[in-house]
Amino acid sequence: MNIKINYKKIEHERLKKTASVNYSSDSTAHTEALPPPRLIGGGALMRLLYPVRFYLLSCALLSAVGAAAGLAPYIAIAEISRLVIARPIIDTSINEIWFLVFIGCSGASLRLFSVFISSRIGHYADARTLHEIRTKLVAHLGILPLGWFLFTGSGAIKKAMINDLEEMHQLIAHALGEVIGATIAIVVGFGYLLYVDPRMACISISVIVLMAICFQIAMRSISIHMSRLTIAEGKISAASVEYADGITVVKTYNTGGILLDRFAAAVDEHTKAMLAWVLETRYSSTLSRLLGSEMTILGVVMVTGLFFVYNDSLSMANLLPFFIVGIGLPTSIVPAIHGTQGIRKGRVSASNIENILNKKPIHQAEDKTTPEEYQIEFDKVSFSYDGVNNAITELSFICEPGTITALVGPSGAGKSTIANLLPRFYDVDKGAIRIGGIDVRSMSSKTLLSSMSLVFQSIALLRDSILENIRIGRPDASLEEVVNAAKAAQIHDVIEGLPEGYNTLIDGSGGRLSGGEKQRLTIARAILSKAPIVILDEATASLDPDSETAVQNALAELIIGKAVLVIAHRLHTIASANQILVLKDGQLVEKGTHMNLLNASGLYSRMWNAQTEGVKS
Amino acid sequence: MIKRLYKLWPSSGILARLTLLHTFLAILQGLLLGLLFPILKALLKAKPDFGEAEPWLKIGAVGLIIYLIITAIALPIGFDASMKLSAQLRHHLMTHVTRLPLGWFTGNNKTKLARILTADVGKIGTLAVTIGAPAITSVLVPITIIFITFIFNWQIALIFLAILPFAYFTLQRAARVSSEAEIELDDAATEIAGRAIELGQAQPVLRAAGQGVTGTYRMRHALEEHHRVYKKGLGRSAVPDLMYTGVVMSGFIIVLIFGSFQLINGRILIAEAVALLILAVRFLEPLGALIELIGALRAMDNSIARVQSILDINSLPKPANPVLEIKNSSILFSDVTFSYEGKTTTLTDISFSCPPGSTTALVGPSGSGKTTIIRLIARFYDINSGSIRIGGVDVRDYDNEVLLNDIAIIFQDVYLFDASIEENLLIAKPNATRAELEIAATDACLHEVISRLPNGWNSKVGEAGAQLSGGERQRVSIARAFLKKSKIILIDEASSALDPENERSIAQAINNLAKDSTRTVIVIAHRPTTLAAADQVVSLDNGKVVELGSPEALRTSDGSFAKLFQQYEKARDWHM
Ligand SMILES: Nc1ncnc2c1ncn2[C@@H]1O[C@H](COP(=O)(O)OP(=O)(O)OP(=O)(O)O)[C@@H](O)[C@H]1O
Ligand SMILES: Nc1ncnc2c1ncn2[C@@H]1O[C@H](COP(=O)(O)OP(=O)(O)OP(=O)(O)O)[C@@H](O)[C@H]1O
Ligand SMILES: [Mg+2]
Ligand SMILES: [Mg+2]
Repeated sequence: MNIKINYKKIEHERLKKTASVNYSSDSTAHTEALPPPRLIGGGALMRLLYPVRFYLLSCALLSAVGAAAGLAPYIAIAEISRLVIARPIIDTSINEIWFLVFIGCSGASLRLFSVFISSRIGHYADARTLHEIRTKLVAHLGILPLGWFLFTGSGAIKKAMINDLEEMHQLIAHALGEVIGATIAIVVGFGYLLYVDPRMACISISVIVLMAICFQIAMRSISIHMSRLTIAEGKISAASVEYADGITVVKTYNTGGILLDRFAAAVDEHTKAMLAWVLETRYSSTLSRLLGSEMTILGVVMVTGLFFVYNDSLSMANLLPFFIVGIGLPTSIVPAIHGTQGIRKGRVSASNIENILNKKPIHQAEDKTTPEEYQIEFDKVSFSYDGVNNAITELSFICEPGTITALVGPSGAGKSTIANLLPRFYDVDKGAIRIGGIDVRSMSSKTLLSSMSLVFQSIALLRDSILENIRIGRPDASLEEVVNAAKAAQIHDVIEGLPEGYNTLIDGSGGRLSGGEKQRLTIARAILSKAPIVILDEATASLDPDSETAVQNALAELIIGKAVLVIAHRLHTIASANQILVLKDGQLVEKGTHMNLLNASGLYSRMWNAQTEGVKS
Repeated sequence: MIKRLYKLWPSSGILARLTLLHTFLAILQGLLLGLLFPILKALLKAKPDFGEAEPWLKIGAVGLIIYLIITAIALPIGFDASMKLSAQLRHHLMTHVTRLPLGWFTGNNKTKLARILTADVGKIGTLAVTIGAPAITSVLVPITIIFITFIFNWQIALIFLAILPFAYFTLQRAARVSSEAEIELDDAATEIAGRAIELGQAQPVLRAAGQGVTGTYRMRHALEEHHRVYKKGLGRSAVPDLMYTGVVMSGFIIVLIFGSFQLINGRILIAEAVALLILAVRFLEPLGALIELIGALRAMDNSIARVQSILDINSLPKPANPVLEIKNSSILFSDVTFSYEGKTTTLTDISFSCPPGSTTALVGPSGSGKTTIIRLIARFYDINSGSIRIGGVDVRDYDNEVLLNDIAIIFQDVYLFDASIEENLLIAKPNATRAELEIAATDACLHEVISRLPNGWNSKVGEAGAQLSGGERQRVSIARAFLKKSKIILIDEASSALDPENERSIAQAINNLAKDSTRTVIVIAHRPTTLAAADQVVSLDNGKVVELGSPEALRTSDGSFAKLFQQYEKARDWHM
């Protein structure tokens, strides 16, 4: 009795028991930078599953027991039939019948429980693996060079954390048990049929074998088609995510709807890819579907069996098992065939995940050296994002604690790059960056990052409450401290005006805050932090004069005694810095105080004039 | 559920056909199995009686051939339906999304949308076909078998029949539990998906906060929540599942024992008993498979509900007779009051007018409502009271596309698409010529960037433009607006990330645009350079107009506008 307990239903996933071509895929990658799925990584799979190997082993074992037990009722019925047909019912045969009934019933119960427990173990193993791999992924992503994120896109991260793992789930929780169970069922079932009548057994099994061959033919180019489909789905997802992310731009420039066209094209491509696959395999998959139908087996057994019976080379009694056990064979093998598909996909996903886990992280120093003072030193630093153009060339400067160093220069000169190099979001190509004389590469990332507070040019907020957004760098800060920081950043009143004050949830893009409000929120973050190094990249660029002055005053207090790097285009905000570095095309072109530089009549004084001219007119 | 599916899908004829085909197939399958009764009865006699079996065998052969042919026909129809269903649903959904108000596009909803468009729609497409058919078979084959069994042995048929209500109720319970678990699990997965995207986009912030390696506590919480929900689902569904399967199994045991009993007591013929046992297996097996199918069906049902939840969101109301042309570029605000969420009003009684050809400067402290005014002109939101007129017509009376065709906006939050610089400009004007592109780039000081980058116009800008510097991104977005050359240009802090020289050139370019006597320009800025050329100044505070007048007049007052200028004058007084 093929009773199944299956937890498929609690997860959303597709069942492909009856579709010969399994073409579903819910990949939601939103980037094209993914390598197309390739069928490698049996090893990757083993490594990822190593921690749950005992679960999987017992899961497999129980599936095998369940499969064998599941055949007992069929065989019992077949044997009862054979028994009563072969000779009239007498007392001894009555006992035999009841014994067979007993075997059948206990087989069915055994199956019920072993499949139940096996599936349960599989799912617990799955739950654990999912959780562990996800945690590992997050940890690993945290130490990859930042450039990797820009290159791969956040969609790829999502794909690994959701889609790939869901495929692996299919494998851990279902495919493995299904394949082993089905194999055992086939072996036992076929063995029994062989014992009853070898000729008929071979004929029945040949239908199954033919079906498996057709299926393999239908699936011969699955990798190509799957990757085409996955890419198309990735594009669908990318187009929709882009559309939603850039919704304001989209709404304004809906001239012809380029993005919608992209979306439509992706959907069409998906349909076409599917169509191509279906067309290519239409005969083989139809054939395998027909051969896999129990009605086909019924027909074949009927025709050949009756032929043999007619010729007196087979007794009716020996034909009956084929109606009972034989017809059940496809029901056992179909899951196995789909299970192998599941394993295949699981392997592709496992290798995707391992690819990420194998990406070389930024070297993490074990050294526990903590700098004694926080002087910042750039020593002949060169750096390139793409290996072609240098964003920074041979840059040297020193920023002493208690002083302010301003970085100015045309857009694209490399100012923000400097702010990215100091916290080691990237490693320099040449030269060295030192804090208190210690190379940043030999500091542990904890020491390094806790020594600085950063305000970035591109504002990034987290989907969380305002409170948590402010104290992200110091999760233990008290509400009072947060409020004080918010007051200093001139944002307290705004927050108080929000429906739930500091507990108001904000969107990742800061949806409900105005441009300047978001900026002040990030300033509050920096004010709250007590780090000895402060880096402000265009921190007050979109503030009005009043709040700018107020914020600048607050910052002035914050930075007493600290080493401070300020990047600004509004030159009046940095006019009193201890030193001003003027950058152009990644190189230091001028250096000095405001007055020195004005008198030098170079780039700085040109910029100064450009900025004040508008006022005079 | 079926009803809902039909409702979702505009052309559901193909689904109906498919349902019909599979219904027919299932009944045929049951009938063919039923033929075993007469056939075995004839053949299990001491000497097989082929003569008696022959007509039945012939019927069976014909039936089988019909069965196989129809199966072969139904398969491609199924694939076709699946493809059409998902493609049409995707188009349908996306078209709907384009009409949603801006406020809907929160981070959460965006993640949901992406997931629904791929995973859920894909599932509906495939499941409607690959799960629907077996579900029909699993229900109709047993029912047909019951009918047939009644003809031959009503006692066993009654046992079969008695199993059904138990099966039905336990199945319903299992389905309910599994459906609830699926919803919880999907919510948890969506949350992880959102956090994963955040992990990518806010990575610098996370690292700077020392949370690079652990992820935010929200991320950790999301992972743990998923783990917990998963295990909870497993725990809760254990008993209902076991019960259903137990019912089916008990049914089997009862039939087996009862059949054997009748057999031993000679109440039924041997042939009949054997046929009954075979049918019993065929009766119970599909029933057993239902437990898996019901889970998948419920999952599909939930997917349908998620799709529907998006389709149910109201889009901005459409005018009955939309105005299809903007006569002139004048903008008139009369007593406009607006609030984003209903609680606090963001704008109160705003009135001002921008004649065609004029340039208006919007100034005011951060949070005073400047950006909001720009959004309202483009009708990203509808106002609560008052009216906004463009060319004398209320913005709500325009066809939305027509309205936006004549407006170009440079946003405060620059957003670039992960494509080349050129493609990012072409979004504004897909058919722009090379020369137009070059002019827009030159005006926006973008040329310098393009000539510096190794791939020039084809340089990819990265996700949300992350591979460009702040000022470079901003210049791309300015060039995009310049390229559009609309009648109305709205500029929100165009040069906040630009160095003084670039800023001046762009101010100049804006001035040139504003010279066109048919064009209306509104500029928001905190810096004098960009505001110098304004014809009038609207000064806002806390959502109200506090000053309105010519720049000359306002410069000598002590409002926001004057402060902008004073700041530069007293620049040197400031000490860090
Ligand atoms: N992630 C990146 N990948 C590739 N190139 C980059 C990346 N980030 C910046 N660049 C390039 O490096 C150069 C320096 O960029 P950077 O962000 O340091 O400029 P910036 O001085 O801060 O300019 P702005 O004032 O406009 O912010 C620019 O030409 C920019 O295009
Ligand atoms: N989507 C939104 N939902 C709810 N409130 C919002 C939303 N967008 C803005 N607000 C609120 O409306 C007010 C006005 O915001 P607006 O963006 O118009 O200010 P602004 O004048 O442009 O300020 P800034 O100079 O800082 O950009 C602010 O208090 C802001 O918090
Ligand atoms: Mg920068
Ligand atoms: Mg604004």
